[in-house]
Parts: sequence; structure tokens; C-alpha cells
Amino acid sequence: MNVFMDKLALLWPEVAMMLGAVACLLAGLSSRQSLRKATPAVAMLALVVAAVLVRLVPNAQGAYDPGVDPSHFLGLGGMVPFVKMSVLALGLILVMVASGTPEALRQVIAAEAKEGKAFEPGDCFRGEFYAFMLFSLTGVMLCAGASDLVWLFLALELTSLPTYVMAATSRDKPAAQESAVKYFFLGAMSAAVFLYGFALIYTATGLTEFGPIVAYVEQNGVSPMMLTGVVLAVVGICFKIAAVPMHFYTADVYEGAATPVTAFLAFVPKTAGFVSLIGILGLVGWGESHGGTASELPEPLVYLLALIAVLTMTVGNVLGLMQQRIKRVLAYSSIAHSGYMLVGLLVGPEAVHAATGSNTLLSNGLAAVLFYLVAYGLSTVSSFAVVACMSRADGSEVETYDDLAGMRQRHPFLSGVLLVSVISLVGLPPLVGFLGKLYLIGSAYAAASAGSATAWVYPAVVVAMVLNSAISAGYYLRIAAVAFFGTDSGQTVELDLPTRRWGAAIAAGAALLLGGLPGNLLVESSRKAAEPPLPNAVPGATLDRQNADDTPPRETAEAGPASAPH
Amino acid sequence: MPETLTALGLSHYLMTGAVLFVLGLIGFVTRRNLIIMFLCTEMMFQGVALSLVAGAKFHANVTGQTFVIFVLTIAAAEAALALGLVVMMFRRRGTLDVDAWQAMSG
Repeated sequence: MNVFMDKLALLWPEVAMMLGAVACLLAGLSSRQSLRKATPAVAMLALVVAAVLVRLVPNAQGAYDPGVDPSHFLGLGGMVPFVKMSVLALGLILVMVASGTPEALRQVIAAEAKEGKAFEPGDCFRGEFYAFMLFSLTGVMLCAGASDLVWLFLALELTSLPTYVMAATSRDKPAAQESAVKYFFLGAMSAAVFLYGFALIYTATGLTEFGPIVAYVEQNGVSPMMLTGVVLAVVGICFKIAAVPMHFYTADVYEGAATPVTAFLAFVPKTAGFVSLIGILGLVGWGESHGGTASELPEPLVYLLALIAVLTMTVGNVLGLMQQRIKRVLAYSSIAHSGYMLVGLLVGPEAVHAATGSNTLLSNGLAAVLFYLVAYGLSTVSSFAVVACMSRADGSEVETYDDLAGMRQRHPFLSGVLLVSVISLVGLPPLVGFLGKLYLIGSAYAAASAGSATAWVYPAVVVAMVLNSAISAGYYLRIAAVAFFGTDSGQTVELDLPTRRWGAAIAAGAALLLGGLPGNLLVESSRKAAEPPLPNAVPGATLDRQNADDTPPRETAEAGPASAPH
Repeated sequence: MPETLTALGLSHYLMTGAVLFVLGLIGFVTRRNLIIMFLCTEMMFQGVALSLVAGAKFHANVTGQTFVIFVLTIAAAEAALALGLVVMMFRRRGTLDVDAWQAMSG
């Protein structure tokens, strides 16, 4: 079969998600009320079907289908199934948390049939809300499968565009619209920036496919235009991950949107951003022929990423410490976590080969990033979900530390979940956040001992990370302390939304289990995901590769060039 | 006209694209009207599109031109979204000045 049909055959999960989104749109407008109420269930069903399909379609990690040419596999090799599965699992929790959000809007309530009035489909946008969630999640899955700049651009936009609408329509408050306008305008600007980066990469090489670009760079080195393109792409994508030059919107947008949507924004675009960054950075580094240590990024990029990482974590934590409102605190914490994850990107996939020669999570920066993404996602989603489960007596959202004061007394279950999630965010054992930080620091430490020209950067970054974790404990533990030892104001009530409550509990339970059990599923699968892909399991390089064939091939973890079997 | 100005090379197109992009960026940062700000992001997209087409011509393949088609569709989708948001904001506040919306800060 040809490339197009092969790629299409690998996109069944995405096709299922798209069909699920259409089904959500239809269900939300159904003339039967029971079907309208089942819209979130339709969305969850689509996610489950997509997850099953991810297991069934062939991928670079085995499960070969002889009908598919392995060189036509999707983008990032072994990361594709990992990212898809984790996005779908978190997506399921996010839909659980979000169910009940559009139903609480005045317009949707007014559209419902009651007191002799007929249902008004024109005013009801319940279906759109869940469909947009599915569209956005599909965008992330496609980001992981991207093997082409055009594809990556479209996937990133598919992730972002629905989130703007979700932020705008999630609450009746003007703050939600204000946040959506800020988010959209800065998002459009950042899209132009990373797109300009893509355009420069194309102009420098004449190629948009990842595999051939990597081969081209190996032959011709990184030209200044190529480097400028990659830098612009990284800076533009910093918007998606809420990292420093593009982080201004975060607190306002996260505060203005409804809390379940905030949880969505804190995980989904961020995952898309990190997955895309792995793809983009892999074009110029982590390859075969860059200076002495093969897995190094070009020097200017190392300094840029280190600077962004340190600034991001510091800004996030210091400003987070100064906030009084819970959603702003968690927004700045999400900025800080992006800074931590950038350390893993800085290290890259093979930091260790000089030191121990083994490929574990403690040495592979990309595996650490993938692990941390899930760890961060579980902890931050469950903490936002707890906030979303409560409201003040007058129906407005819980906002300040005072609102959480003494919640242990009347909401013991929720405060337990909150405790687990904030402790995981601090990074204390035995929770998953601890393992995530351990792996990130371990990989940076391994990179420091690799002895390259830029090795001095890594200890500095590790010191910044440890100091920042200490600062972050200040506000995370304040949340826990206020919830457990504060005086109950009696102002809060728990919303009657069992799915949201269970969504929070499942996320926190997973954070506990995945951190507590050694050698569990997440540890194993994230390690495997970042292993070099199987031979020929990446898009074939079409350029002449005589020079590169002299040295033993070492695959990059993403769409590296195809080479001889090991 | 001197000979050097009549021979247009890749760099001329790239410079024009870069100027469009930077002008758009400056406009985005300095102007305070939402519609003007959106037009500025459109101008940034046009700068990108020009660079892509120039690159396609330079490398004598059509990938860049294909890319431009996709960029245009995304720009159209963003324009639709921007229009919706602008109309919604104008109905609520009666102004399109971004400084009028500073309910959240800190």
C-alpha cells in the first residue's frame, strides 16, 4: 500500500474520536432529554473506543501488521502509543470532571424543555462543549503522530482552537469571556510565531518531513536560518506549555475559565506543546553528528532552553507564592511545572551513554518528561477538580484560601483528595510527583557527567530545580494546612456532581498508586516509549545518506532517519 | 534603476516576509483595539505565507505552497473565531478597547 493509505490505517483512534465528537454534537441536540443528558457518556464512550483502537493499530513498539510498511509509522516512534494512551486516560478523567459544566449555564438551562415549553436547540450548546473537548484531545494525539511540519501545525491548531471556545462558553461570568479573548489573541500571535519558525525551517532545507530534515541536517549541519527557525518554533510553542516568554496569559485565563475547563487547559495544550517540542528539537539535536557528544542539542539551543527552564520555574513559584486565590496559585504552579519538564527536554534521550551505558528513566530525559507529563496531569487535574467540586453558598466559585479553610470537617473525602494531589505536586514520596522529579533530576545529573562543552549547565539547572521545589512547598503545603487546620467558615457547599467527585478521586488514586508501586505500568511504559524506535520504524530518509552510514547508527527517539537493523 | 535592485533573490522575499511579520508583531503589542490587533496577527501570517512561497520557489518544489494553503485555512478559522469573540465582547461592554477589560489582575 502507499504511504497515504498506510498512515490512514494508523489513524483509526483519531477517526474514532472525530466520529465521537460528531455523535456528541448530535446527542446534545437530540429531541429526547435522556439522550441530551447522556452527552458526556457519549464522549467517554468515544474515548474508550479510541483507547482500544490505539492498542489494536500497529505501532513502532511491536504489534506489527504485515500489511503496513514499517517505514510509514507515525511520527515519534514509541512515544505515539504512550502519548495517545495517556491523553485518552486523562481525557476520560477530564470529561468526568467537566460533566455538569455546560449544564450549569443559564442559556443551556433556559433551552431545556420545561413547563410546556419545547426544547430550543438553537440555544443549547451542550453537545458543542463535549465535542470541543474531543476535538482538542484528538489534536494532541495527532501532535504525537506528526511526522511533518504541516501536520504538526494543523495538529497544534486543532488542539488550541477548541480550547478558546471552551474557555469563552464555560461560565456566565464576564471574566470567562475576558479570559477567552486574552487566550485567543495571544494564542493567535504565538501561532504566527511558531509558524514563522516552521517556515524558516522549510526555507532552510526545502523539506517539511521530519525524517528527511534530520538527514539533511546531519549532512549539512545546522544553518543559521535553520537555528533561527527552531528557536522561533520553540518560543511560539512556549505559549502552549505556558513557559516564560509566553506565560502572561496563564493566571488570568485559568482564573477566568470555569474550573473544569481550567483543568483541561492545564494538561491538554501543555501535553501538545511538549510533544511538539520533542519533535522540533529532534530535528537539530539528539541525532548522530553534532560535535563530540552525539546526543547534544546545538549549543545556543541548550543555553536558550536552560534559560527558559530556570526562568519559568522561578517565575511560576515566586509569583505563585504571592497569590491569594487558589486558581491563580495553581496556574502559577502549572507554569513552574513546565519549567521542570523543560529540564528533561534539555537533557534529551541519551544523556547517559557516557556514564553508565544504560537506558533507564534516571538517564533518559525524554522518558522523564513523558513520565512527568502524566504525573503532573494527574496531580493538577485532581487538585483543580477538588476546587471545582465545591462552591460557595451563593453559588459562586471557590476562590481564596479562606474558602478552603477547615474543609476537612465538612468535606473529609475531598480534602483527602486535595491533600494527595498537592503533596504529589510538591514532589514528596510516595506519590507520583516525587518519582517524576527524581527522574528529571536524575537525567540532568547523568547529562552533567557526560562531559560535553555545555555540561556545566546541568548542575545549575538541577540546583534551580531543587530550590524551586522548596519554594513551591510554601504554597502547596499552605493549601493543605488551610484545608486541614483552618477554621471552617461554613460558607462552602459540595456540588451534587458524583462524576466530578469520582474524577478527582480516580486521578488522586492513580497518583498514589503509580507513585507507590515500584516498577509499575507508567514507569515501564514511559521508559519503553522513549527508547530508540525499532529499526526502520520511522519515516524513511530520502536523501543521500552515505556519510552517515559510516558510523554505527543510533536512532533518535523521534522521527529519526531509518537505518540498518542493529 | 541600478542593476542590483532589479535582480530579486530569495533574500529580498524573505526580508519582505520578515518585515511584514515584525510590523504585525509591533502592531499587536502597541495597538489597543481588538480588531486592529487581530489584523496585526493576520499580517504576521501573511509574512509567514510570503516566506513559504519564496522558499517553495527557491527550492523548486510545491511543498511550501501547499503549506500556505493550509495556513490560509487555519487563518480563516481563526478569523471566524475572532469575529465571534469580538461581537460577544462588544455586546457586553460596548467597546473594543482591550484596556477596558482588566477585571482580573495580580
